[in-house]
Amino acid sequence: MTPIAADLNELALGIFALIVAITLGITYWASKRTRSATEFWAAGRGITGVQNGFAIAGDYMSAASFLGIAGLIFLFGFDGVLYAVGFLVAFLTVLFLLAERMRNAGKYTIADVLSFRLNQRPARAAAALGTLAVAAFYLIAQMVGAGVLIQALVGIDFWLAVVVTGVFMLCYVVFGGMIATTWVQIIKAGLLLVGAFVLAILVLNRVGWNPLDLFGKAADASDDGKKYLEPGLFLPKPIDTVSLGLALVLGTAGLPHILMRFFTVPDAKAARSSVVWAMFLIGAFYLMVTALGLGARIVLGSGGEEAAGKGGNLAAPLLAQALGGGEGTVGGDLLLAFIAAVAFATILAVVAGLVISASGAVAHDVWSNIIRHDRDSEHEEILVARLAALGVGAVSIVIAIVGGSGLNVSFMVGLAFAVAASANFPALLLALTWRRFNTTGAVVGVTLGVVSSIALVIMSPGVWPGPDSEGSPFPLANPGIVSIPLGFLGCWLGTMLSHERRAERTFHELYVRSETGIGAERAVTH
Amino acid sequence: MDVTNGRSVDWERIERLPEFRELVARRRRFVLPATAFFLIWYFGFIILAGYAEDFMGTSIYEGFTVGYGLALTQFVVVAVLGLSYLRYAERELDPLRVRIDEAAAGFEPTQAEAPADPHAVHGGRFDRPPPETATAPAAPPADREAER
Repeated sequence: MTPIAADLNELALGIFALIVAITLGITYWASKRTRSATEFWAAGRGITGVQNGFAIAGDYMSAASFLGIAGLIFLFGFDGVLYAVGFLVAFLTVLFLLAERMRNAGKYTIADVLSFRLNQRPARAAAALGTLAVAAFYLIAQMVGAGVLIQALVGIDFWLAVVVTGVFMLCYVVFGGMIATTWVQIIKAGLLLVGAFVLAILVLNRVGWNPLDLFGKAADASDDGKKYLEPGLFLPKPIDTVSLGLALVLGTAGLPHILMRFFTVPDAKAARSSVVWAMFLIGAFYLMVTALGLGARIVLGSGGEEAAGKGGNLAAPLLAQALGGGEGTVGGDLLLAFIAAVAFATILAVVAGLVISASGAVAHDVWSNIIRHDRDSEHEEILVARLAALGVGAVSIVIAIVGGSGLNVSFMVGLAFAVAASANFPALLLALTWRRFNTTGAVVGVTLGVVSSIALVIMSPGVWPGPDSEGSPFPLANPGIVSIPLGFLGCWLGTMLSHERRAERTFHELYVRSETGIGAERAVTH
Repeated sequence: MDVTNGRSVDWERIERLPEFRELVARRRRFVLPATAFFLIWYFGFIILAGYAEDFMGTSIYEGFTVGYGLALTQFVVVAVLGLSYLRYAERELDPLRVRIDEAAAGFEPTQAEAPADPHAVHGGRFDRPPPETATAPAAPPADREAER
């Protein structure tokens, strides 16, 4: 496959190199400030609300958001917008139900909140399972996406692209911890917003500055005509639409790498304002991405569908090239190189966030608490955290290369959201709000959520018994509508079938802490 | 477990404070209806997108359809609810939290002042400040900002 940026390797690589140099500089600076566990996992809790808002946006807006949603809108029109709306509205769930409570009650990982009132070891094991499952699926999806994208844009081999992405990701996390990860995410959010803004302005210029003209002109440019503006081209089954919508709006509130960001701010007030900042940044971004998807349809037309590849992932870079003046022009080359570099930075920031959340689950939850019973030194905990990050990163690089570019990225992301919504979200919400909730409930709920999501996805059309095949045992592409109620049911059933005095007694403490912030972990003062 | 920042805290006593009950009630007064509203609005949109394709495809203005219009209202709902929660929390919730903090700091200690947590003695691991700072009346939020 010839890369679309064949003629501009040097230009693209130059911009890549600049971004990499800046982020490595930050990592060096951050490594000098990363000595304690609080600094490694929570950036010393010294990130401000605004900074954290940008970092959440940078952590959340993955290549699947930018290239994926623009591509879906380009190919299928309205159904792509459903993803953007679900991803955005999800932040209201986070704001109203979890953000402040997480900051008040937690320390480094979501397991801290669960184990607060439940039996440490089983509760941590359950939470670590949920965290690692989500992080693993999401991480592999992003790595494969990175490989495919960089291969297509710059022309290096798939495996090399995955290794390069993985090495930078590990540099940030292992040496710079959460401080470096946060700043990489902030810079990436800024770059991505600027990139999307420039393209959106150029698209509006094409349609005579009236955003409302985008819709009619996009439909004119589509073979589907009026159907292009209606739902149903990508998600023909209504129940699939509802199931996906449910997983998106509840899944975000169970994503460990997003929830972990609330531990990096000094107090619940900053956690609260950071969510609202993130909402505005992400909302503005999705509005622009919608314009890009429709703009790609107008500018590239049906002829661009083949070049945009499966899922339309290359629609946005192709649009950049066309808007800059077309292939071979200075403007086209420059804009394509810039958007390619932005996409690379986007992936780096997301995978770094995922690796640090997975390292928290392995080192803080499994090693320090479950294996070493809290008797390890802080020095040991950070050493294990770095080793865990290395291990998680290495495994994901290997799986991404072995699975190859054929691994279905959107299926892996869908799975991550389904597990987050079905396993992590019910357990967290009930631990914080339900007096009677106990350890058995958490273990049964998380396990049922993880197992049912994975099992139902394996049995779904597109996976069982092979791609695009008929006769799969489970009819829906997204398991949310079944697996989320199962996760809650597991929590309820496990709780009702067992009795645990301590969990009810310690509920008072967790309840008061999470509502008031009394006794919350403090910021490190230098 | 009941030791925070080197002082013991009677959680159940805080839970019985009228200020705490008021805090929880006020938070619920906003969060419950707001959550119900955005979920209904969102799932209404999703269900219409799934089951009422023709309605969603009706053009309001030159190709700008009902579906896109409803999608746009979701962005508005997120912005309005997000900002109003910030305002509400700052005006109605945070002052109560300060009062609860002060009331809790005034409680008679139920245990010895010395931190019972072995890690707190070694320092660092739980990054808790020494007992002197913690037993002082709770700092108002403005001071905590300055602490950084």
